[in-house]
Amino acid sequence: MSDEPRTAAGTGDVFDPDLLSRCMSCGFCLPSCPTYRMTGEEASSPRGRITLMRAVQDGRLDVTDPTVLAQSQFCLGCRACEPVCPAGVQYGELLEEWRDTAWQGRNRPVLAKLLMLMMSRLGMVGITLAGLVRRAARTRRGTPAAPNLMLGCVERVLYPKVSRAARRADPSLVAPAVQGCCGALHAHNGESGLGRRMARRLGRQLPGTIVTTSGGCSAHLAAELGADRVQEFSAWLAAGHGPDLADLTPIQVDGRRARLGLQDSCHLRNALGVWREPREVLAHLGDYVEVPDAGSCCGAAGSYSVLRPADSREVLAPKVAAIAELDLDYLVVVNPGCYRQMAAGLRGSGTRVVHLAELVARAL
Amino acid sequence: MATLVERLTSIVGAAHVRTAAGELEVYARDATPLFHHRPDVVVFPGSTAEVAEVLRLATELRIPVVPRGAGSNLCAATVPLAGGIVLVLTRLDEILEVSGPELLARVQPGVSTQALATAAAAQGLLYVPDPGSKVVSTVGGNVATCAGGLRGLKYGVTRNYVLGLEVVLPTGEVVRTGGRLWKDVAGYDLTRLLTGSEGTLGVITEVTVALLPAPAATRTGVAYFADLAAAGRAVDAVIGAGITPATCEFLDRTCVAAVEDYAHLGLDTEAGALLLFGDDGDPELVDRSLGRIADVCTEHGATGVTLAADVAASEDLLAARRCSLPALSRLGSLTILEDATVPRPRLAEMADRITAIAAKHELTIGTFGHAGDGNLHPTCVLDASDAAAVERSHAAFGEIFGAAIDLGGTITGEHGVGAAKLPYLSRRLGNDQMALLSRIKTAFDPAGILNPGKLGSTGDQTTEAGTA
Ligand SMILES: Cc1cc2nc3c(=O)[nH]c(=O)nc-3n(C[C@H](O)[C@H](O)[C@H](O)COP(=O)(O)OP(=O)(O)OC[C@H]3O[C@@H](n4cnc5c(N)ncnc54)[C@H](O)[C@@H]3O)c2cc1C
Ligand code: SF4
Ligand code: SF4
Repeated sequence: MSDEPRTAAGTGDVFDPDLLSRCMSCGFCLPSCPTYRMTGEEASSPRGRITLMRAVQDGRLDVTDPTVLAQSQFCLGCRACEPVCPAGVQYGELLEEWRDTAWQGRNRPVLAKLLMLMMSRLGMVGITLAGLVRRAARTRRGTPAAPNLMLGCVERVLYPKVSRAARRADPSLVAPAVQGCCGALHAHNGESGLGRRMARRLGRQLPGTIVTTSGGCSAHLAAELGADRVQEFSAWLAAGHGPDLADLTPIQVDGRRARLGLQDSCHLRNALGVWREPREVLAHLGDYVEVPDAGSCCGAAGSYSVLRPADSREVLAPKVAAIAELDLDYLVVVNPGCYRQMAAGLRGSGTRVVHLAELVARAL
Repeated sequence: MATLVERLTSIVGAAHVRTAAGELEVYARDATPLFHHRPDVVVFPGSTAEVAEVLRLATELRIPVVPRGAGSNLCAATVPLAGGIVLVLTRLDEILEVSGPELLARVQPGVSTQALATAAAAQGLLYVPDPGSKVVSTVGGNVATCAGGLRGLKYGVTRNYVLGLEVVLPTGEVVRTGGRLWKDVAGYDLTRLLTGSEGTLGVITEVTVALLPAPAATRTGVAYFADLAAAGRAVDAVIGAGITPATCEFLDRTCVAAVEDYAHLGLDTEAGALLLFGDDGDPELVDRSLGRIADVCTEHGATGVTLAADVAASEDLLAARRCSLPALSRLGSLTILEDATVPRPRLAEMADRITAIAAKHELTIGTFGHAGDGNLHPTCVLDASDAAAVERSHAAFGEIFGAAIDLGGTITGEHGVGAAKLPYLSRRLGNDQMALLSRIKTAFDPAGILNPGKLGSTGDQTTEAGTA
């Protein structure tokens, strides 16, 4: 038996036992975890966090234990630990279950509450946003069979130009004005049930295929609606929709082909396995240069950059340094959160940040 | 306690001492299932001098100290059975030197095996030992466990590549054993003694390893057989034909299915066993060697043989093999693996015995391992909540150890003794050697503070260690 007393909370029902027992503590995930690389401490590694979850499940630690709570917040939720795990541990699911329980009441970061409220509002009252939406990429009335362009709540506020560019690149996409939030942010901030319901509602508002320029939204939506209905924009293009890639005119800078690098979207890469596709598209748009560690998190991580700005900047710093070495004209992103984060990081440098859709639209 | 923590803090700084319950919980286990015990404090030293001060303090106060690298060992070697200090060495992670002309590297113990291999490769050199866990394991941990790997037959294991060590003794003295010399017989071979000492004799703070020139080419191939025993007979035939493959690994049907499920390499999941072979050297020689291995396998009952098309395909195959254990763990909520090793010609016989033992105890046991050096990893996958099955698995492993010893083998080939196999150690060593081990332990560690309940202790001390 254990050497530690069991707490009253050890009811064994916080986590799905099958998900939790998958981890064999081999540690293969440690080197890929940004927070472990930052601290070198087991508690801030995927394996350590799963050990904490087990302790909560078995009643050796309370879900409100300071380390447990701190680690549930310090984790970026980037899921870089998933594709490298030979045992197939679904860390993202476990993290949602963890935050669902841990972030109740006053344990949820205040800013997270605020952000979620904003997103829900945006989602519910799509109509009142018509003004904003119009300036985005709203279409008149698409035929029901046409693929829907999801506008994304962060994107339509911060980067409406991205959806506009996506529709220029592929005019077959329609963008209905009334569309809610996909709920990814909620799912990652302790409200996974609500997050799922929001995804399903969006699925009803946008029947048929949904194309999105947000890697993060695509993973959450695909998990709820099925990967066959949801297409991230670069995967959509790589699959042969929109312009013929071979016909695009590569972007020029100072009379030469532009040097392009990519920052992967974590959930797009780690949850949906989409990383070849944006590279394939970029190869047609200029001279593609692989950024070292392009697949590791930039620190945006959904709401993370807002909730934990200092940690977020620490994750970002080595990336900015690596990009500075490469002399890129453009750092291309496929997710609005990364857009904001990388733009902040590269401000004042010679490298501009653009969304893949914007470059494609320019190369038509 | 309070003074201990204060004094530790004054040595390494507050940022490098941890005492919160959750922070202790994550150091209560390693990659071994069923063993769990929290330390009282976790310390991350930043220099040899700090390690020495911590050890002097621990000896003075009689506090147990458990050195820890990446915690990837499979024998509960880093579980602090008696509490005390877990001493994590991953802050010492500098590659101090890679010398092409001298064919050696000098590293701190927290450097990962992969990082050392990469640094060597950057200079056209090869760091040979490549345990399956190399992405995460540390060089210090590799030396302390004398880790093996996928190149054992042709190249040997970690001990064959350790030239010298800097070690802090439990009483605080810093000694340097061996060094940069390939020949050096001045004194007892303490380097060898410390290699595989599992953190019970001293804390390794620097390692000098031998490197080899990187081979010009490496290729691998796969042969399928009706069962492990057939694969084992083919390995005998290959070696009998005068070929020493650099890599010679095998997986049974259960393992192939689990690995394929993760890696999607198009392996034949219908076959009873898979043999992964490889060689390195000059390209023409490698091609010839692989061709001959393929021929011998076909002559000895292989149902199919394929050679990897290119380096990437070879790498994929090896990476998949390295993942066998975690991939197997998909099959059940509890994965217990062992490390029995027999003289290579007895491999087929041992494989048959494992199959019989698994059937007798009604257990799912997948076996993979290093066919070239007779090192098998029978792995039992079961439902953790099925107490009767867990009981039966212990009985089965007892019989597997017995079978290995019967066949002239050992209870552990590379994973080490730790707490998990200490109760079985006397079966392999006998009482006189057990007593000698404990006298050696006392010579290094008079206060008995370093990793108590492991090597150098008697098996009975750990009977109550198997906590969940
Ligand atoms: C999936 C998987 C595959 C594996 N494959 C192999 C394989 O092919 N071959 C193989 O041999 N092993 C293998 N292992 C076992 C394990 O990875 C090795 O034993 C490895 O050497 C442990 O290194 P570590 O840094 O994790 O050490 P830890 O687990 O942290 O420690 C292991 C032992 O070394 C001691 N120690 C660690 N650092 C020091 C130090 N600086 N000074 C003194 N003592 C120290 C500890 O006290 C402990 O006794 C595998 C493990 C896993 C999970
Ligand atoms: S999450 Fe996967 S890779 Fe990480 S320790 Fe667990 S089993 Fe290993
Ligand atoms: S989600 Fe990202 S930060 Fe969190 S444990 Fe996994 S790799 Fe680490």
